[in-house]
Amino acid sequence: MNAAIKLFMVIVIGVEISFIQSVPLNLCILAVSCCYLLIKRVSIKSLLYLIIYPIIPATGLLVSQLFYGIQGPIIGWVLFTRLFAYVWLGATFTMTTNIKDLAFTLEQNFRLPSKFAYGVLTAFNLVPRIITEVQTIRHASLMRGVTMQLWSPKLYFKAILAAINWSSDLSQAMISHGFVEDAPRTHVEKTTIRWSDFAIFAFWLILVQVPIFVF
Amino acid sequence: MTTVSVSHFTFTYQHRDQPVLKDVNLTFPDGKISIIAGPSGTGKSTLLKSIAGLYPEFANGDYTGAITIGNQNIKQIPATDFSGLISMMFQNPNQQFTMTNVYDEIQFALENRQLDPAIIPERIDDALKFVNITKLKHRDLAALSGGEKQKVALAIIIAMDSDIILLDEPFASLDRQSRADLLHQLTRLRDQKQKTIILVDHDLSGYEKVVDTFFYLAPGQYQIKQLTPKEVAALLVPFDNAELKAVSFPLPNAGDAADLVLDHCELKQNDTTLLTANQFKFLNNKVTLITGENGIGKSTLFKALTRLFKYQGVITYQQKDIQKIKKKKYLSHVALVFQDAEMQFVNITVEEELALSMQNAVHNHYSKDEINAMLKALQIDGREKQVVYTLSEGQKKKLQIIEMLIMGTDILLMDEPFKGLDINSLATVVEMLRTASQKFGQTIIIISHQLSGLETLFDYHIQFKNRQLAYKEQLL
Amino acid sequence: MSKRWSLRNIILIALIAIVCGVIFWLTSFIYNALTLILTPIGLAPAANDISLGLWIVAGPLAGAIFKMPGVAIFSEVAGAVVEMFLGDQWGVMNVVSGLIQGAGAELGFAVTGYKKYGHFQLLMGAIFTTLITFTWDWFKNGYSSYGAGLLIFLFIVRFISVWIFSDPIPMAINKLLKRSRAIA
Repeated sequence: MNAAIKLFMVIVIGVEISFIQSVPLNLCILAVSCCYLLIKRVSIKSLLYLIIYPIIPATGLLVSQLFYGIQGPIIGWVLFTRLFAYVWLGATFTMTTNIKDLAFTLEQNFRLPSKFAYGVLTAFNLVPRIITEVQTIRHASLMRGVTMQLWSPKLYFKAILAAINWSSDLSQAMISHGFVEDAPRTHVEKTTIRWSDFAIFAFWLILVQVPIFVF
Repeated sequence: MTTVSVSHFTFTYQHRDQPVLKDVNLTFPDGKISIIAGPSGTGKSTLLKSIAGLYPEFANGDYTGAITIGNQNIKQIPATDFSGLISMMFQNPNQQFTMTNVYDEIQFALENRQLDPAIIPERIDDALKFVNITKLKHRDLAALSGGEKQKVALAIIIAMDSDIILLDEPFASLDRQSRADLLHQLTRLRDQKQKTIILVDHDLSGYEKVVDTFFYLAPGQYQIKQLTPKEVAALLVPFDNAELKAVSFPLPNAGDAADLVLDHCELKQNDTTLLTANQFKFLNNKVTLITGENGIGKSTLFKALTRLFKYQGVITYQQKDIQKIKKKKYLSHVALVFQDAEMQFVNITVEEELALSMQNAVHNHYSKDEINAMLKALQIDGREKQVVYTLSEGQKKKLQIIEMLIMGTDILLMDEPFKGLDINSLATVVEMLRTASQKFGQTIIIISHQLSGLETLFDYHIQFKNRQLAYKEQLL
Repeated sequence: MSKRWSLRNIILIALIAIVCGVIFWLTSFIYNALTLILTPIGLAPAANDISLGLWIVAGPLAGAIFKMPGVAIFSEVAGAVVEMFLGDQWGVMNVVSGLIQGAGAELGFAVTGYKKYGHFQLLMGAIFTTLITFTWDWFKNGYSSYGAGLLIFLFIVRFISVWIFSDPIPMAINKLLKRSRAIA
């Protein structure tokens, strides 16, 4: 399925369940997402992560409603299952699609200027270096006797200074690799939007409405 | 015609008193390999990036004069034609890729060149084959070594088939074998594809058999001149190293005191083992030199010693596992002078930086007057109000060394601290480090490629070779 | 820094968003610890309100640095997309949050027609961000089921957190960048 349409579909469903208080709806979405991920052979480790990760925040929401909710415990369970639904629904996109697919289709089918698509892509590749950089900055300042808290403006400042240098290096490298802003490019991997993409989109969207009326 | 000519080229950076290059006139011959050598920070890269059309856009500065290819001023060449004419390989292998894997990156470059998608796969295969890295075709760029990344960068240039190839200190982080491989590829590009190649590097050694035309940028001259064969020979002679060969170091005794110890320690990067050390001691109160090839893991060792890099096994400081000491406390005993001086700065002006070090010094070894004398000796006095980030690279390095000496930590690790220092400053820094060690008992451990002018500094020499550290009597 | 959507600026805005995301990610242990502490007393949502400031800092910060329309919202969305692919726990809903939070900061600058990027605009951005995100949580996180007292408490906590990371902190960072001559 086209990556952008898939993302849009998942977002639409996610937003819709935010406004509908229904435990069965959340459970249906959870079940369908789970089946989809199993079919797509997502690793067991990832699935376990998806089970464990939402537990703390979901429990927090549940307990809070049990204590302070004025509409009874049911809302607590709606929120509890909704959070799992968000995470599992989201995984149907993130665990089966990569940022390159999304960037390619946005560039080729949705007229996103290529500088945005590739600019964000190149920044994405720098994430591991940024993590190291932030840690190194904090270490380096400790060597000068200064503790930089995570909310310290100086920490952001130093990291942004590095980012300024990197943005310069990366754009120079892209230019050197022939990239010209707003100039046409050719595409080896052609992304397409088919009628079937819209059909799948409509199918799932309609299917999501079913539990709302059934339960 | 792809002769590159530079005429009346003067480049001035903002916030600097002097132009970095003044009225430079040069011609790089068509179909040859040329090199511009000279110490770092003198403007070689500035010229190269100007030829590549990246400066002045990406520099805080501008130039007067003209750069022409054939008969055309580069400023008149449309951007879409430019990459077909010139490509550049950068010094830092980590900051030149857009995509995550090798194939995608080359494809990206060829799509930019608006090549017909039908011929792109073949082009990619040919380029990989030319550089002999077909096996890397589908590898993730992040998992490659520095040398492999530079080979990929070269493959991209070959696939793009530009007439002129510029290389900005391309071997800075590569081991000898990778360097030799790449140099060999460059000669093939010249001989088989008639490319015009321009390289920049800080010294000439290793290039004498490969390069056709030599240029030299002498420090403080702001000028680049072409060297005669005689001058080339003369420049290569000082590296004969007679003085360095005569230097001899003692070997440590079993009983020598050592606070910093590697205990069954192993460093690994991307599944490659960089170092294994069963029991290795860094001796107290001495100045110790660590040498080893590029990319062997020297900087990584320093990062492990300062808890910036995860290792297997144990490193101890005063018999305590360093992971069990509070980070802030540990780093007030063992500090690192980073290769990148800017990393060390916490404040904005020179004055604020010095004040911070004095305020937070672990041991107050230096008085205010002594610090002023140090600044003066290194010719960075009178700049109290200057923003540290606007200092030249050499000035940043000097300030960094002074402020880290003021910190007065028990152990000071220094990663290539002499890079970019002129000869006089080098002698002064050597003097300061000797004082720190002899008068204040600091333990100083230094990674340095540069050795000349440092004969009197070191007490011990550690060689990092074959994934092992070992004390050596000989320097070379 | 030129005021246009150049390749370099796009990369930098995305990097600034990622820097903020990385710092936020490093603080996630605070969020989890807070949630754990607050869960037994039923106040877990307060963890969300307390830490929201760290979430939204990219928008006001990038807006104040670049002073161009659209930067605040672009930075938040770009940051959200990157975090989504990094396997952040909120996944796709991150993009919705990014849009909503970016819109708050963006509106703050839009109020005065993108002519100024000072304290007032950042304060307005903080107000809009608090209002919009609170409305979103009204539905998404069941805030509609809380009593007035708890709601007022959460709202105030959220506003303070959002304001601190919308105004004083981005302004301080901006000032450091200016003093260092990194930006004009």
